[in-house]
Amino acid sequence: MFQPLKSWQWLLIATAIVVMALVPLVTRNSYLLHVFILTMIFGIFASAWNLVTGFAGLKTFGHHAFFGIGAYASALISINAGLSPWLTVWIAALVATVFGLFIGLPILRINSMPHVAIVTLGFAEIVRIVISNLQSITRGELGLWGIPAFEGFNLPWIGEVNFTPADKLPYYYLILVLLIASVAVIALIMRSRTGLAMIAMRDAEEAAESLGVNLTRQKLLVFGVSAFLVGVAGAFYAHYISILTPTAAVGIDLMILVIAMALVGGLSTLSGPLVGALILTGAVELMRDLDDYRLLVYGAMVILIVMFLPKGLVTLAPMLTRRFASHSSS
Amino acid sequence: MTFAIFLEQVINGIIIGSMYALIGSGIALIYGTMRVLNLAHGEFYMLGGYFIFFLAVTYGVPSWLAIPVAVFATFILGVLIQRLTIHYLLEKEGWLFSTIAVTLGLSIFLQNAALLMFGEQFQSVPYYIDGMVEIGSIRLPLQRLLIFVVAVITIAAMTFILKKTRLGWAIRATSQDRDAAAVVGIPAHRIYLITFGIAGALGAIAAAMLAPIYAINPWSGLPILLKGFVVVILGGLGSFPGAIVGGLFLGVVEAIGVQLTSSEWRDVIAFALMIAVIWWRPWGLFGKKPS
Repeated sequence: MFQPLKSWQWLLIATAIVVMALVPLVTRNSYLLHVFILTMIFGIFASAWNLVTGFAGLKTFGHHAFFGIGAYASALISINAGLSPWLTVWIAALVATVFGLFIGLPILRINSMPHVAIVTLGFAEIVRIVISNLQSITRGELGLWGIPAFEGFNLPWIGEVNFTPADKLPYYYLILVLLIASVAVIALIMRSRTGLAMIAMRDAEEAAESLGVNLTRQKLLVFGVSAFLVGVAGAFYAHYISILTPTAAVGIDLMILVIAMALVGGLSTLSGPLVGALILTGAVELMRDLDDYRLLVYGAMVILIVMFLPKGLVTLAPMLTRRFASHSSS
Repeated sequence: MTFAIFLEQVINGIIIGSMYALIGSGIALIYGTMRVLNLAHGEFYMLGGYFIFFLAVTYGVPSWLAIPVAVFATFILGVLIQRLTIHYLLEKEGWLFSTIAVTLGLSIFLQNAALLMFGEQFQSVPYYIDGMVEIGSIRLPLQRLLIFVVAVITIAAMTFILKKTRLGWAIRATSQDRDAAAVVGIPAHRIYLITFGIAGALGAIAAAMLAPIYAINPWSGLPILLKGFVVVILGGLGSFPGAIVGGLFLGVVEAIGVQLTSSEWRDVIAFALMIAVIWWRPWGLFGKKPS
């Protein structure tokens, strides 16, 4: 996957982007667009989680902290300081990055998977409780509302673009741009020397170390980038949904959903988390009537995938084609 | 804070801490023997609590009988979980992560299965004994004293099993060096099964003792799991004595911290303590620095 892309792969990527860009021409159904917007928010989240977990080999279970920090920071700054959401989204992402570095530093020093899992989980729990306890600022579980929407602007040829709850279209294109940018950033990191060294480190730590690979600083950087991207996703979510509660924005359910997405799609692949986000967000909506069974199904799904298909669904396709090809040639 | 209040908080802290110690030692046993971080450990506590509730409250079984039956049922549950999932994953590559991921899935699955079967209302069990003891100016409900006594007995029994019985030797040998233990004929897989069962039983004992104080609901496992994690970080991951000391220490720090702030900050105090320990002594407050 880290060879230079072949032309058919470029074509596939281009087709995917064009299809996504054209969806609103086929349907303006606001419910359907909403599902796609959620898919893309989770697509960024799952891809960024996969960057540290699948690629950098740091198994964190607390990335929902950065989603919540991004969401609440952007919402609170735009409400209290009166700044434009276009600006606060980036400030919030930087706040998430700072927290990411704060928690990334000690976990990189210990270099033990269970410690990393425990500490990140505990950190996210601190963030959730602090947000829900500081009721005078965040209104706790009552919900933070009155979060301003993105300001509209004028585009040549298209005319005025307004972000209102009634029209999902501007949100759709905004999150699509953010998603493409995020995946591009992740792909660029993984194709750099750092990325290749990280893969080497993950696959054979001792061998890589013996060749002089030491990645503590780069891994910290990657952790920061990941926190930044998740922060952006959270901030966008805040201004899109326009009401936040600690359970919805920093709940552990969120992390479980994202882990399930990355596992179902395929950990350590670029497309896996995106495929997983599409499948699971779609599944959530299909199961709307069976809401009580939703988490039960996720739990079962994580168990089954880990037990029987540890590399996820995206690895199923090449496996099947290979089997098919070998059958037809013989 | 007067000295009497301080002392009372320390005593309360030790009592709750003794339960944290039971939870933490279960996590430590599993990690110590098979290097598996069990994210479903809170569900042993939660389901153990429900077993007690159904036996003691719904069916009116006397508590001296209900508790051992529930503890044994949770033991079996632990064995089953190990045999059906962890057992297969330990043989495959990437087991370090896949075992964590599968226990996370199990945790969510069991929580929501409990939610569907038992409903979301909070259940509780009546006090096993009533009455108070007075020691100087401190009044202590007998129920709380009972918690501490049960913890001491359990820890003593566990220490005896680990130090003095063939099973305990086998567990400790496997945790020190699985292959060498296999060479001298210790069946590692059976040891893993039993260890998982014991960890489940320890969780159920904690649940039995805390059920009269804290309500049982499908989500009651998660906060307990996180407390157990703090305990094992404090005590050094995988160390049984470390978990006992870590549990008591956490209980006391929390009790005093809550007295100084308020109860809604209890968990933040615990996790902040854990992150501070990770920064300064990642091998645990009471563990040895790896050379």
